[in-house]
Amino acid sequence: MSEARRIPFNNPGWAGNTGEFQLTEAQVRGDEYVGKRPPEGGHPSGTSTYPYMLAEKDPEAPLFEGAYQERFEKIRSRYPDARSALLPSLGMAQELRGHLSPETMEQVAQLLGLSPAYVRGVATFYTMYNKRPVGRFLIQVCTNISCSLCGGDDVLQAFLNNTGTEMGETSEDGNFTVMEAECLAGCGFPTTVQINSRYYENVMPKDVPEILERLKAQGE
Amino acid sequence: MAYPYTHEKEVRILSKHFGEPEARTVEGWKARGGYQTLSMAFEMGRNAIIDEVKASGLRGRGGAGFPAGVKWSFMPQDGGRPHYLLCNADESEPGTFKDRELLRWAPHQVIEGMIIAAYAIRAEQAYVYCRGEFFETTQILARAIEEAYEAGYLGKDILGSGVNVDITVHCGGGAYICGEETALMNSLEGRRGTPRIKPPFPAQAGYMGMPSTVNNVETLSSIPFIIQEGADAYRANGTAESPGTKLFCVSGHVRRPGNYELPLGFPLMELIDDVCGGMKEGRTLKGVIPGGSSVPILNAEECANCEMSFEGVIAAGSQLGCAAVIVMDDSTDIVKEVRRMVGFYAHESCGQCTPCREGSAWAEKILRRIEEGRGTEEDLDTLMEVTSQMEGTTICVLSDSVAAPVQSSINKFREEYLSRIRTGEKAGVA
Amino acid sequence: MMTDQQSPQTVTMRIDGREVTVPTGTTILRAAESVGIEIPHYCYHPGLSSPAMCRLCLVEVEGWPKPAPACKTTVAEGQVVHIESEMAQAQRTGVLEFYLLNHPLDCPICDQSGECQLQDYVFAQGREHGRGREPKRVLGRDDFGGDVLFNGDRCVMCTRCVRFMREVAEDERLCVVERGNRAVIDTFFDEGLEGSPFAGNIVDICPVGALVSKDFLHKARAWDLDRTPSVCPSCSQGCNITLQTRDDLVQRLKPRENMDVNGWWMCDFGRHNYEWINRVDRVEEPLVNGETQGWPEALGSLLGRLKEAKGEVKAVTWAHSTNEEMGLLKAMMEELGGSEVVYRSPRTVGELQLPGFPLLARREDLAPNVRGAEILGFTRVGDEEAEGGLDDLATHKGVLIVVGDPLEDQNENFGAQAELFIYLGSYLSKVAGNAHYVLPTTTFAEQEGSYTNVQGRVQRFWPGIRSPGSARPGWLILGALFAEFTETEAPIGADQAFVQVAKGVPEFGEITYRDMGTRGAPARKSAGVAGD
Ligand SMILES: Cc1cc2nc3c(=O)[nH]c(=O)nc-3n(C[C@H](O)[C@H](O)[C@H](O)COP(=O)(O)O)c2cc1C
Ligand code: SF4
Ligand code: SF4
Ligand code: SF4
Ligand code: FES
Repeated sequence: MSEARRIPFNNPGWAGNTGEFQLTEAQVRGDEYVGKRPPEGGHPSGTSTYPYMLAEKDPEAPLFEGAYQERFEKIRSRYPDARSALLPSLGMAQELRGHLSPETMEQVAQLLGLSPAYVRGVATFYTMYNKRPVGRFLIQVCTNISCSLCGGDDVLQAFLNNTGTEMGETSEDGNFTVMEAECLAGCGFPTTVQINSRYYENVMPKDVPEILERLKAQGE
Repeated sequence: MAYPYTHEKEVRILSKHFGEPEARTVEGWKARGGYQTLSMAFEMGRNAIIDEVKASGLRGRGGAGFPAGVKWSFMPQDGGRPHYLLCNADESEPGTFKDRELLRWAPHQVIEGMIIAAYAIRAEQAYVYCRGEFFETTQILARAIEEAYEAGYLGKDILGSGVNVDITVHCGGGAYICGEETALMNSLEGRRGTPRIKPPFPAQAGYMGMPSTVNNVETLSSIPFIIQEGADAYRANGTAESPGTKLFCVSGHVRRPGNYELPLGFPLMELIDDVCGGMKEGRTLKGVIPGGSSVPILNAEECANCEMSFEGVIAAGSQLGCAAVIVMDDSTDIVKEVRRMVGFYAHESCGQCTPCREGSAWAEKILRRIEEGRGTEEDLDTLMEVTSQMEGTTICVLSDSVAAPVQSSINKFREEYLSRIRTGEKAGVA
Repeated sequence: MMTDQQSPQTVTMRIDGREVTVPTGTTILRAAESVGIEIPHYCYHPGLSSPAMCRLCLVEVEGWPKPAPACKTTVAEGQVVHIESEMAQAQRTGVLEFYLLNHPLDCPICDQSGECQLQDYVFAQGREHGRGREPKRVLGRDDFGGDVLFNGDRCVMCTRCVRFMREVAEDERLCVVERGNRAVIDTFFDEGLEGSPFAGNIVDICPVGALVSKDFLHKARAWDLDRTPSVCPSCSQGCNITLQTRDDLVQRLKPRENMDVNGWWMCDFGRHNYEWINRVDRVEEPLVNGETQGWPEALGSLLGRLKEAKGEVKAVTWAHSTNEEMGLLKAMMEELGGSEVVYRSPRTVGELQLPGFPLLARREDLAPNVRGAEILGFTRVGDEEAEGGLDDLATHKGVLIVVGDPLEDQNENFGAQAELFIYLGSYLSKVAGNAHYVLPTTTFAEQEGSYTNVQGRVQRFWPGIRSPGSARPGWLILGALFAEFTETEAPIGADQAFVQVAKGVPEFGEITYRDMGTRGAPARKSAGVAGD
């Protein structure tokens, strides 16, 4: 990521397709500023901010060992009780394993002294915790009002067509799962698409093949 | 130009440094005059800060518009129990996209505001409840907080003042309702994000049952300017009842959608026609949702003289909400868009209250039927009644938010519904 | 310091035109209840936290812009509340309509039918014709393990069950899965409720037929059941229960509210331990030396033989005997100059406490009247299984009186050497074959009587089913014999029997059946201490 990459097409992961825009994608996304975040967690104040929708997943990964154990403890230390650490802990479990299986929920429950049923109730309340495995790339297309007004449905359809999948199903090569998303707070830059932990904005149906190629090629 | 959406009519206070990557860094922020207000604030003392914020008239930017200084003054004056400051960064109201911009371009502005607010309300621990989808944004914020710790702006004994403030970023898991302040507290506690009954109010029993204050990102970002320049300078913009500037999130069918910082009270049509470059080629205005999807739709007529202040939008027949202006031109399929919004609320209802849980799903089904050309005129009456049974009968106002688009659209665009019912064809210009 | 001096202890307000005075802090729902007005509700249950989420209890409060949830809103001085106003009724009708949208038309096959709060409320104030035209949501059934079956389609999402498991059982095995309209109640995947000793209570508190008992499934219709207040006989806690019977068979047991004993709850062990009440191997007529005889003849000849008997009198009973039986047995023994009465009672290790209502525990003593036997000074013998400990009785040569205990563990020679062997019991046990007199007694379910629970609380129960043949309550038999012996009046009711018994027992003091009512009365701690 050291080489300042020019924005390759008109949907640079942010709003700038007016032609007046002088920044690189990395600058917009803040990649350079954030840098590589260590698995044990940087400063404990931000230990819950790690992306937990990643391409590489290991459903068998232990919960939590080594650096992750260290991060888990940092998370715990930021709250007055163990229960409050539940959401970040579920996030970290998903970061490692890709989804929250019953076993994962049970293990997280045990780590925090909660009942498995309780954890299931919480995990299923929130839509970002995958309750079943998803592809390497989870593509979530906003079709809510602002994007809808500007063609969000067509973008969603383009993703489905180009990946050859049904909504919510994973493509045969295991690469893509396409879902409809609620408003992603990118309404001024329609259509907004979240792919794993990154936003793609101003996406048009015609951009879709290029985005998919890029994902396959560079991994993220 | 670094930030693509600017206009000469803007008054850029909060968004001054949008698009400048260096402004994210603590050095860059300091070079731009940041962090000077901390020692000023500690010197002023708690009461003076609260008084200044009260005097500024700053109203909450999360949607309800409650005066921030007044809210702070509800916090108990004595110590003993821990107090918490909770920054609401769960931005999920359809149409709204300002908090993410504030967090990723000016993270230190929020941090600075939070330190002052935490000090004023006697909180040593503050949380930023970030929307879970904001991975990139929260990492920028986390890095900025880390830098602030390194620079001595956070942690114990800030700048030798004896003030302690810790900030922790907490990521949600994908649930719009967690933006509601009591649901936010439940979610932060590791529970299902269901709103709580009020009373007790957060200032009495909030996070962990302790006195807590919830403020929106934009509200907190406004604090440094108020401390730096004073309440009068803040009031130099905006109206008497709605002082200051506001980030207007304009989306939909305008040429240049985006975030524009303008004084409150700015005319809606000027925002659309001038600042945003007007409607797209050959299109005319059909309606505007002026404050995020939870507020009533205005038709073109009502927009004509609407001023974008809290009181101005009420006078026009809607609410300012979080100033998310969704513009719809004559190609808009009202039935479909209303169905889509109602579908959102059905998806996001926490499901506690029967009217909201059942009513939102029911309304969506009826609307879908109408959209597919299988509706009857009676359905419109049913929709009006069903949504009226959802108003004022629930724990939080998400339920009322279903009523707003449904009722306003049936009242104002009834013909469009009727033609869909009669012919099965969508209205609007292709 | 501020004082509460000015804040009055009570509040006076009006509900539907009636003036109501209640303690400060009372909710509108409770205030209405105190004057006999029921406000429809689902999520509120007096034994659980109030989430005020079902919104069925919305009422009109004059001067308020919105309707208020009666379960959560506390009364204020001078407040005027309307439950039957047009506005309040419209709210209820509206909320009920929402409930019906996805509710199946299951009443004909639903066990809750007849005692269902959806049925009742809709009947009382639902819309005549629902407007829901959309297909209903279908969730189907789910076996929750233990005795609990879940019918998802009938659930009204009140979360009482979840809150019971969390707050009262403190065994959080239920949760709401998903959110919004997709929410359902579930356990942790296949984990179920198996082994949770109080889970049966969720069936009781479920206001509809979403949670039903597998044991009771399609056994009886609610309106065909007779209901009789009683006391659980399965341990010394003595949970207050209702016997629900049909055709003289107990169909199920349900807890009956008593805040001093069991709250609204009971344990699953007690709840399901009722089949024995319906046992059919009963003694139905008095047997004298194996021959059936009428009561007058049997008692007449028994009296004669008792008077003639020379040998020492020994007696054994069990902790299922009532206070009245035990007391009269004791009086009888004293009259006959007999030795102490022994009793046996099964015991388990460890109590099962209900964490959220700690007064209630499934006690170690698995019979209802151990405390009664103790108060009367009986001596406990035998082991944990209530077996053994009767060696000297088994071969006793004098007079042997057995009350209640079928002595299943004893061999067929028990009592064979006795000069006179009298067996008062309900069951034809092999030992009874040796008795000169077998006098059939009714079970607790067939008679009026009282038990003293582990707390020393004397609690009444009532007959819920008819006794087979001519079986009689033990107190009636013993009372008659005693009266003949002493030439006094025999008690003709259990109440009189208790008064007679209580006379000589300081712990029972002046307690009468009237004092006990349906909720019992505490016995005095001990004889010497003046009670207060
Ligand atoms: C359904 C619902 C969703 C909400 N979502 C948000 C949100 O995403 N962000 C926000 O700041 N406030 C949101 N609010 C408003 C908050 O409850 C609260 O009023 C606000 O955060 C207070 O901050 P302020 O006084 O600074 O505006 C929401 C309210 C409701 C009822
Ligand atoms: S109104 Fe809807 S979202 Fe709000 S608490 Fe009730 S069910 Fe939940
Ligand atoms: S199963 Fe019964 S008790 Fe549980 S939430 Fe549903 S209706 Fe309420
Ligand atoms: S605790 Fe004892 S008395 Fe209560 S229900 Fe269980 S067995 Fe019966
Ligand atoms: S009983 Fe009051 S809201 Fe449910």
